[in-house]
Amino acid sequence: MDDSGTLLSRIAQLLHYKSIFPQLQSPNYIRAICPELPFREVTILATITLDNLSMQYGNNGSRYTALSNVNLTISEGNFISLIGPSGCGKSTIIDIVSGLKTPTTGSVLIDKEPVSGPGTDRGTVFQDYSLFPWMTAFENICFAIEHTGGSHTKTEIEKQAEEYLNLVGLKKFRNAYPNTLSGGMRQRVSIARMFSMNPKVFLMDEPFGALDSLNRIYMQDLLLNLWTEGERHKTVLFVTHDVDEALLLSDKIAVMTPSPGKIKEVIDVPFSRPRCRKSLGATAEYLTLKSHLLSVLYCEMLGEIEQQAQNFRGLA
Amino acid sequence: MTEKIPRAAIAVYLLLALALAVQVLVPDAQRQAAADAGAFLGVLVLLAILFTAGLVFQKKDARAVTDIVTVIAVILVLWEILLGKLSLLDPLLFPGPAQVFQVFVSDWQLMLYGAVGSLGIMATGYILALALAIPLGLYIGWRRRLYDVAYPIAKAVSPIPPTVYLPYAIVLLPTFAASSVFLIFIGAFWPILVGTIYGVFAVDHRIINSARTLGLSDHQMVRRILLPGAMPSIFSGAMISLIMAFISITVAEMIAATSGLGWYIEYNHQFANYDKVIAGMILIALVVIGVMFIFDRIQRHCLRWQQAE
Repeated sequence: MDDSGTLLSRIAQLLHYKSIFPQLQSPNYIRAICPELPFREVTILATITLDNLSMQYGNNGSRYTALSNVNLTISEGNFISLIGPSGCGKSTIIDIVSGLKTPTTGSVLIDKEPVSGPGTDRGTVFQDYSLFPWMTAFENICFAIEHTGGSHTKTEIEKQAEEYLNLVGLKKFRNAYPNTLSGGMRQRVSIARMFSMNPKVFLMDEPFGALDSLNRIYMQDLLLNLWTEGERHKTVLFVTHDVDEALLLSDKIAVMTPSPGKIKEVIDVPFSRPRCRKSLGATAEYLTLKSHLLSVLYCEMLGEIEQQAQNFRGLA
Repeated sequence: MTEKIPRAAIAVYLLLALALAVQVLVPDAQRQAAADAGAFLGVLVLLAILFTAGLVFQKKDARAVTDIVTVIAVILVLWEILLGKLSLLDPLLFPGPAQVFQVFVSDWQLMLYGAVGSLGIMATGYILALALAIPLGLYIGWRRRLYDVAYPIAKAVSPIPPTVYLPYAIVLLPTFAASSVFLIFIGAFWPILVGTIYGVFAVDHRIINSARTLGLSDHQMVRRILLPGAMPSIFSGAMISLIMAFISITVAEMIAATSGLGWYIEYNHQFANYDKVIAGMILIALVVIGVMFIFDRIQRHCLRWQQAE
């Protein structure tokens, strides 16, 4: 019985991709899915400022510095990616901005107001586990909207939740529990939830990190289209370790290096929007930027590897 | 039914028919003679009807249904032939099925009152325990300081069998019902409490972080996140509690009551009415099966979000 269940959902998924992929070429495909986008009358935008953030763990005896003097300004409507190898503190930055962690020194300002704890002025999507497994896709979104603090009636909330579910193409999975959805579908619900909350800023911590490459491509295009079409460029802080993903999505890329985590370089991504994955990847500019990014990312790592190799030779 | 009736199902029908035929055609052993074999015949027919219904409505589990009914039918046939007809064991201690099932006809009022009374006391104590242990467990699991105090105490006190409180409960509380409720409450409280605390710990911290980003108040956090998140573990604690409650109520009634299921067995034991003792045991088994079935349904409903995978 279980087998037939998963098989059916697989088939449903496949059919779903078939119906959506051809439209991905057009930047307006969201309008095709959902002609009446729930546009807000007022789109709230905000600037995020990371002011001299440092983060240390542990007691005096064994201190571990996760972040050291991180300064970054993400101006209104900008999409900034943090990229770097694991352990460089990119997720720590998301946790601090979302208010889950308090920095040892320094502060985060959102429109000049310091962050003192979690709040619904920031919408967050994590790699997985953003959704509550005991609520259906629909209930998850309703629950989030309820807590944004606006004075909505129940019918308004439900209408909005439904619109955003449509927007990510999950109308049919309204009453499905997260356990029954694939990883990609779960992330679509998480993204729908984030958009539906209408926060000042979006924070995304490797949201596509756990997906297979086909799904990731689909999700990147979905996010890009939702972001450019739907919400008039909200401020986004996006964590990834994928260079192509960062280049496709961002206005700026902050490259981080580990131990201690710090920002090594901030790179402008000059490509005009709307961006198209196909034509973008073919340009010489893209390739130059990509190789530059890779060299910045890995020069330190390469150095380390060489060091290790030498030590090894010395031993032998 | 277009499918072929499986051979195993036919065997069950044959077994039941055999039991029926033996009862009607072969006379009971002398000291096993029941006043009326109607009740046993009724049970056999009822079993056949339930089995047919099971085959029709539970197609998915048809094999399991068949196997269970086969076991029951074999036991009934052996019981009937070896004890009822051949009287191989002491007829006083081991009455045949015809005698035992006849008790359900002659004593049905007493048994019904007993079952309702026992279940009423049990439900009161059990629901009190749920109502107190779950909220308490949620807050203890959520607040580190409370946990550090409460957990060692719970760990030390919970293995004490609830029946040891019985002497004091009987002395201090005015009625038997009140002391039984207390006993069941105490017995059910600890497993639910410990289950709830573990349940809160088992909620993935990433889910809690996700909830925190929504800026939930403490109350909302406990009610909307910790409670459903801890629910699987709460249910396993509640299951242990339910079994404890059954044991507690039966023992308490055997010691101190003037009605109820436990009392019925103990009372008839003193008069050497072993047919009634066995009937009482069967009744308790039926009540337990019924309660467990309801419990299972509630659990499945509350944890439906888990089953999907």
